[in-house]
Amino acid sequence: MDLAWYALLGLFFAGYLVLAGYDYGVGLLLARGVGPAGRRETLTALGPFFLGNEVWLVAAMGILFGAFPLLEGELLAGCYPAVVGALVGVILVTVGVQLRSRPSDERIRARWDRVVMIGSALAALGWGVVLAAMWQGVPLGADGHVAGVTHLATPFAAAAGLAMVTLVAVHGAAFLALRLSAEAAAEAARTARRLVPVALTTVAVATVVGLLSARVRDTVQRPALAVLLPVLLVAALLAARAALTRRRPGLALVATGAALALPVVLVGAALWPYVLVSTTDPDASLAVADAAASTPTLRLLGWVALPLLPALLGFQAMCWWVFRGRTDGRAPVYW
Amino acid sequence: MDTLLLARLQFATTTSIHFLFVVVTLGLVTLLVGMQTAWVLTGNPKWERLTRYWGQLYVINYVLGIATGIVMEFQFGLNWSGLSRYVGNVFGAPLAIETLVAFFLESTFLGMWIFGWHRLRKSVHLALLWGVAITAYASAFWIMVANSWLQNPVGYEVRDGIAHLTDFGALLTNPSLSMALGHVVSAALLVGGMLMAAVSAGHLIRRTPDFEFFRTSLRIGLVTAALAISMVQSFGFAQFDPVGSVQPTKFGGNGPESQALIAEWTTRFGPGDYTPPVLASVGLGFMILIGFTLGCVWLLLPLLFRDWIIRLRFPLWLILFALPLPFVAVILGWIAREVGRQPWVAYGLLPTEQAVSPVGAPLMLASLIGFSLLLGTLAVTNWVLLARHAMRGAADPALGRPPAAPSEPAHPEPALL
Repeated sequence: MDLAWYALLGLFFAGYLVLAGYDYGVGLLLARGVGPAGRRETLTALGPFFLGNEVWLVAAMGILFGAFPLLEGELLAGCYPAVVGALVGVILVTVGVQLRSRPSDERIRARWDRVVMIGSALAALGWGVVLAAMWQGVPLGADGHVAGVTHLATPFAAAAGLAMVTLVAVHGAAFLALRLSAEAAAEAARTARRLVPVALTTVAVATVVGLLSARVRDTVQRPALAVLLPVLLVAALLAARAALTRRRPGLALVATGAALALPVVLVGAALWPYVLVSTTDPDASLAVADAAASTPTLRLLGWVALPLLPALLGFQAMCWWVFRGRTDGRAPVYW
Repeated sequence: MDTLLLARLQFATTTSIHFLFVVVTLGLVTLLVGMQTAWVLTGNPKWERLTRYWGQLYVINYVLGIATGIVMEFQFGLNWSGLSRYVGNVFGAPLAIETLVAFFLESTFLGMWIFGWHRLRKSVHLALLWGVAITAYASAFWIMVANSWLQNPVGYEVRDGIAHLTDFGALLTNPSLSMALGHVVSAALLVGGMLMAAVSAGHLIRRTPDFEFFRTSLRIGLVTAALAISMVQSFGFAQFDPVGSVQPTKFGGNGPESQALIAEWTTRFGPGDYTPPVLASVGLGFMILIGFTLGCVWLLLPLLFRDWIIRLRFPLWLILFALPLPFVAVILGWIAREVGRQPWVAYGLLPTEQAVSPVGAPLMLASLIGFSLLLGTLAVTNWVLLARHAMRGAADPALGRPPAAPSEPAHPEPALL
């Protein structure tokens, strides 16, 4: 039962990074100099999906609290600055996108757009650092608490955060290539192709820094899976580039989406059976089974989630289906 | 300043801001459901205009509700890791259910509702709003289940210092739940009704050309507010009995029951100050005062006859100036409920000092200042936008604007006069 809930937690957090990842990527790409009308068109592409994407984070946090209360407390409090950074980013994006078009003054809208850009960068950076913190282990003491927050300040965490920012940027560009009207989409596809080498560079840097870090090497329980991650990331990015060249933006979006889901899936697999590995006291490492809520709680949540999950995914799928296709002059404009 | 106080201040600030927005969300969505249903059933375009105008205000208000809601959810782990460590097995369940059953679906539906105008069949579009409203109420229900458990922990047993769930049904039949839920939901309706009446009053005072529109809004708002205030009062007073039996110390520790309870806690947890700050009773007192004042809404209802309320004008001013009152009252009520729980996170089970995260005071201070400034600024910005959109009138809200219409400005200035 622990494993099923751990997988569900992974599904929702990975789903959040994949879906909100293109929100943040699109947010970053507001900086690409397309003028007021272009920026509004960019946000119209997000349109009906935006609220449904952001809320995957809320669901992931709910599962984290309900099914893994011990992990929730230690992970969030133990990575305090990174989580707060990500959270501030999420709030800025959520508020910025929804409010930017309420004033009609273009200068105020441009200011809101800068808020969205900064928020997008912060959110991607923050979640990148949180994932890096799991990869490099935390100073978990015998009392069960993470000691201090300075453990976050490593070159690996910085490199991973940066890699996350470039990954969401590519992902956002691939989304725009799929969604925007034909002419703007071609421009977005060019941007995406140009961003792929940047993302490859940051992933390579994070890989090298990670391999050189003794903390990362000691933390990882299954080195083969850890090494697989950069290989798969590079493959996904190259596949995205190839798909964009062949004018298949849908495939490209799947590939960049996979690149955002992979770090979550593989950090879970590579650290198994642990979820937080202690860098100071090997006996203090937190195993998934120990982090999970007790059986009656998991069973109760299971009864709730089992019938609900198809409904949750079904309504999201309904949203994707109803609003599929490129945005054209007839698309509702609100953001 | 110690970490505990800073964490409590942060929780109070975030929750207060959150509450100010979610009561409006819950109240307005109920009225919107009524208006859009009337539109679909009658086909009268008046109801479409009402739905679009009030829907626009609802959607702007929702932005801060969701933003502060996300902060609330994270705050448990960031600042109160002991809460998840010791009672997460029980307290986490209703919160997890809330996010999945309610929050997740509510946002998914709302996104489709905002962008579904002129795109979805009218019945489907209406069903989405019903979905938003039902999940909003479900959200209120599960949050109150979680909060009531903190007020009166039930359905658990402690093994090795950690609470484990034994009886989930007990959480749902918690004596501190039912009346409080009714109280909060009717308070939300009161806020929604008062907001609608006050905004309409403002337009009628300015002699709006859209007279019929705001006349209808005023009537809906006032009748809702009147019905809601009576419900608020009834549910409020009905709470004294259950609160008195499960939380005797809540409003002062002088009665024999609370003395006995404090003596028991002293033997179990050691000596300490187990009476909540007097702020709880002060909040309660002023809230009741406002509650009675707002009861006077009933006196305005006869004036709806032949529009005397509009013709006399001064009742419109009264309604406009009364708008802050329900907002102040919900904050006071929240203070009474939450401060009255001190010094416990979970009443008689987990003291706040055990629940606070072991992070340094400087970090907590930075977080408190940062989030207060951020959310405070966003809240004020949001209210300014709400006020501007409310004052702009119902000529052409962006929500539900037909795609073919010129985007902005909605009504271009005529080139020749």
